[in-house]
Amino acid sequence: MSFKDEEQGIKDNNQEEEEEAVNTEDDSDPDEFEDEETTRNLVVPGEILTTDTKTFSPGRGTILTQDRSKIISLNIGLKQTKKNYINVIPLRGFYTPRPGDKVLALVTDKNPVKYRLDINSKEDAILKPKNTMKRGRETRGMRGGPPDRNTSNTDMFNIGDILIAKILSADRLNSPELTTVGKYLGKKNNGIVISIDPPKIPRVIGREGSMIKNLKNLTKSTIFVTQNGRIWLKAEDIAHERLLVDAIRKIEREAHTVGLTDRMVDYIENEKKKRGLK
Amino acid sequence: MPLIIKDEYPEKLFRDDGKRLDGRDKTELRPIKMEVGVVENADGSAYLEWGNNKIFAAVYGPREVHPHHLAKPDRGILRVFYRMTTYSVFERKRPAPGRREKEISMVIADCLEPLLFLELYPGTSFEVFIEVMDADGGTRCAATTVAALALADAGIPMKSLVTAVAVGKIDDELVVDLSGIEDKAGQADLPCAITWFNEELSLLQFDGDMNLKQMEEFLSLAKTALSEIYQIQLDALKKKYIEIQEEVSGGNS
Repeated sequence: MSFKDEEQGIKDNNQEEEEEAVNTEDDSDPDEFEDEETTRNLVVPGEILTTDTKTFSPGRGTILTQDRSKIISLNIGLKQTKKNYINVIPLRGFYTPRPGDKVLALVTDKNPVKYRLDINSKEDAILKPKNTMKRGRETRGMRGGPPDRNTSNTDMFNIGDILIAKILSADRLNSPELTTVGKYLGKKNNGIVISIDPPKIPRVIGREGSMIKNLKNLTKSTIFVTQNGRIWLKAEDIAHERLLVDAIRKIEREAHTVGLTDRMVDYIENEKKKRGLK
Repeated sequence: MPLIIKDEYPEKLFRDDGKRLDGRDKTELRPIKMEVGVVENADGSAYLEWGNNKIFAAVYGPREVHPHHLAKPDRGILRVFYRMTTYSVFERKRPAPGRREKEISMVIADCLEPLLFLELYPGTSFEVFIEVMDADGGTRCAATTVAALALADAGIPMKSLVTAVAVGKIDDELVVDLSGIEDKAGQADLPCAITWFNEELSLLQFDGDMNLKQMEEFLSLAKTALSEIYQIQLDALKKKYIEIQEEVSGGNS
């Protein structure tokens, strides 16, 4: 789904807040859960995927044994063969921040120098005030000029706020750094945030955003899915939101099964009739 | 009047019909039942019933290390907390971790460490909490087995599972999977664990008396028992997902 489609989607849903849209995140793992035709072979850590190491190479979630005689799985997940690479798509796991990811973050602490945010990874992320405002004429004093002692730099957000932020930098050793300047980024004032297992996020988005499109259209809602396993959603009323939460929980539970998108459409339509929703 | 259980062991550990006191053959295992995903708030968890042993394991991580000075700048650390509940043994066990529990925690941590890629997660810790609800011999083996299962359920990248079993000597006979009484009254016991990616021993402890030839026999006995348990482990790990798959495909057809 391109950005144009997203904007169109917002207008259809006649939302007041224009910046609330769906990110498809199709840049990160485009092949994940995509190919319905791949055999849904469940593998566990240590399971031998192939002994033919000449034609196949170890891809994601796999490793070549030390004697180079076989490729084994590192995760509990689904085996997938793509060209001559063997991958294992994990079913459980944790979120590792990567630069460019959009994340839903919770402000847990702040001091005059920086904010600290929980992004569901092993370390808290850091948000510096200079990354919270656009550089312009008013903020030029941020760099170089004498500091204004009367105002704090970190009064934009409070502890407990939920932000959509983008990761600027992340590596193994340092805390990830965030920014809130950019399209769709900033504070969220309403809606519901739920969290699911991060490896199952691609399934909520679906192939080229098909799943999320269906969810949005059927429940007339706005959804923002982020890579760290959190989903922000807002619908017309609480009943629709509840239905949406149930649907996402069902996707999470059945992420490893075939034909999920069609099943979810049936499920939502049935549930809507059952619950008396339009 | 308090319940008094005499600390006496039977003279013979074999019945007249040649079977063991609980009716098992020499190389027969106790019934084993495993389940994953039992602790809701943990990242990964598993439950094991092995004869009378009942053990929970929960895994958290990678997460920040507390106290912070334990963190290593170049690699993650694996911490294992093996604890027994006060009611898990006949005489009330004092709840504070004792010498034995600290040792077993260390032994299990050393056994599991070669499986993980700790160097990929510097400054963090993986924590495994093992709670023994009911103990009847061979808890360190059972705890190792269930800890590996919980780690796999948490989705932590690991080279393979690890499986452990105790073999021993009672009344001059070599037997597999010692129960509590056989462990105490027997002549020797040898807990051992295997990592399946290279099929090497990851844990080997020994208590009692035997000669080198018997040791070889012991290990070959253990190998067959271990592969039997490994199969149960694999089934337990996959069962959670296969059940959902079957439920879904059953509903469609």
